[in-house]
Amino acid sequence: MTENRDCTVAGQRELGEDYFLLQVAWPELANQVCAGQFVMLGLPDIGEMLIRRPFSVARTVASEPGRAPCSFEILYKVYGRATRAFSRLRAGAVVSVLGPLGRGFWLPDESEHDRTEIVLVAGGIGNAPFPLLLQQLGPRAQHVSLFFGGRSREDLTLLSWFRERCQVITTTEDGSEGRRALVTEPLAEKLDDDPNRRRVVLACGPQPMLKAVAEICLAREVLCQLALEETIACGFGVCLGCVVEQRHPASEFERYVRVCTEGPVFDAREVIL
Amino acid sequence: MSPAVRTAVDLGRGLVLRNPLLTASGTFGYGLEFEPFLDLARLGGIVVKGISPKERSGNAPARIIETPSGMLNAIGLQNIGVMRFVQEKLPALRERDTALIVNVFGNSIDDYVTVVEQLEAEEGIAALELNLSCPNVEEGGLEIGRSPRSIEQVTHAVRQRTRRALWVKLTPNVSDISETARAAVSGGADAVSLVNTYVGMVIDVERRRPVLSHGHGGLSGPAIRPLAIAAVYQVCQAVDVPVIGIGGIVAARDVVEFMMAGARAVQVGTANYNDPAIAAKLVDGLVEWCAAHEVADVNQLVGAAQQ
Repeated sequence: MTENRDCTVAGQRELGEDYFLLQVAWPELANQVCAGQFVMLGLPDIGEMLIRRPFSVARTVASEPGRAPCSFEILYKVYGRATRAFSRLRAGAVVSVLGPLGRGFWLPDESEHDRTEIVLVAGGIGNAPFPLLLQQLGPRAQHVSLFFGGRSREDLTLLSWFRERCQVITTTEDGSEGRRALVTEPLAEKLDDDPNRRRVVLACGPQPMLKAVAEICLAREVLCQLALEETIACGFGVCLGCVVEQRHPASEFERYVRVCTEGPVFDAREVIL
Repeated sequence: MSPAVRTAVDLGRGLVLRNPLLTASGTFGYGLEFEPFLDLARLGGIVVKGISPKERSGNAPARIIETPSGMLNAIGLQNIGVMRFVQEKLPALRERDTALIVNVFGNSIDDYVTVVEQLEAEEGIAALELNLSCPNVEEGGLEIGRSPRSIEQVTHAVRQRTRRALWVKLTPNVSDISETARAAVSGGADAVSLVNTYVGMVIDVERRRPVLSHGHGGLSGPAIRPLAIAAVYQVCQAVDVPVIGIGGIVAARDVVEFMMAGARAVQVGTANYNDPAIAAKLVDGLVEWCAAHEVADVNQLVGAAQQ
């Protein structure tokens, strides 16, 4: 159930230049959020931040191993005024949070899992929704492949965390980590390698990457889900600011769907990027 | 809530709101979406998203961007149309214990008349607000709203067809808003609401083009509040009907400010996105402010700053 509340910051960690991991205490949300869902995050004083910002829930954290999670994390890169303000928050600060929001990834159920390979594609900070996905997959995560690309190795945050849990294939544009290539290159090779394997590709990253991933998957008839990012003012479906165009609208009126409500995860066949 | 402060306000044609806090059209959906966050019965009323004769899909993205202390939007009046509004939203809305104000949008006099005629037989609507001021569609709306003559004609045409309280929402994108306000009153408006958004633009300097796909959009939020206060102050000197103040309200003292400028009621807009419960909190804040300042009745604030 979506709720709006002021929450305490449990901690913040800098993961290299301009990348941060912010931990927010909210046990109920941490226990019900699904991978791909998001929260709107703001400062309690509306004068400091008029429009809240959407962030994927990156991970949930328990006070000790084996316990239910009591907080959640967001993983973000500093881009502008709002993210700069968030990056200055320390434990004990208060943030306003609305969540959990939107429709997350939908995964093959356990009985089908052995027959369907899960392939993740992340571009830079587009890795944000995937730690939670791997947490929720539990031991099944070891069969997941993550294609993780960035401009440079600094963009590949939480890399060792991912490597402990799934198969990771890295690419960078400057060659500082993994293959010097765009992430779509090894992805296409992987899909061509065993074309009859049943797979689902889950992707999050910059729009040109998502577009390329969608094309690669659609051409090979591989199921593909895209986690989209848009400017969102409200997060719960009323501002109508965050729309994306549908590929096959039932009517002219349904030409646009809301990223915050019908998404942020869409079947690549549903939307035009 | 302190019982000592009287909050009811009279907006004409027998419409008395329990308090002056309304939600602005276009920022509050159809109202029901906010029920997880606040009790609609706490509010003076709600103004639902502009309804047109036929459903509209709105503008292509990008549709919104934050600006210094404000927000620029060009949604393009995406709405479900009057038929579906009556069938899908109104049955639930009329059960709610709050004044329901339906914002009406059209491209022509006929459009406004069509929507109003379809709503007239329906129970549970307290007032109509004519949107003669949207900057985000190519036709109608703002074009009509910039011409005093057109405003008077549309208002008059609608006045002939409704027994309900009739408000006209004015654009600030004119050289003299007093003149358009007078035109609405002479057409038969029971109240005027102002301001709608200011035309604005943000350019992406890397891509060398406007950020919004529509090019320009409507600016809202605290950035426009002093402009809106000035417009309300001015219009209150020009017309005798109640004025409903809109523009960048985020705190109780902003409500007080609009009322002191002369507004009998106010609408909260962009702030609903930041805090979906803000309208109810502002009711409490207004009462607290009045109690702290020994104001027994919110009506004592109305026009207090007028010279």
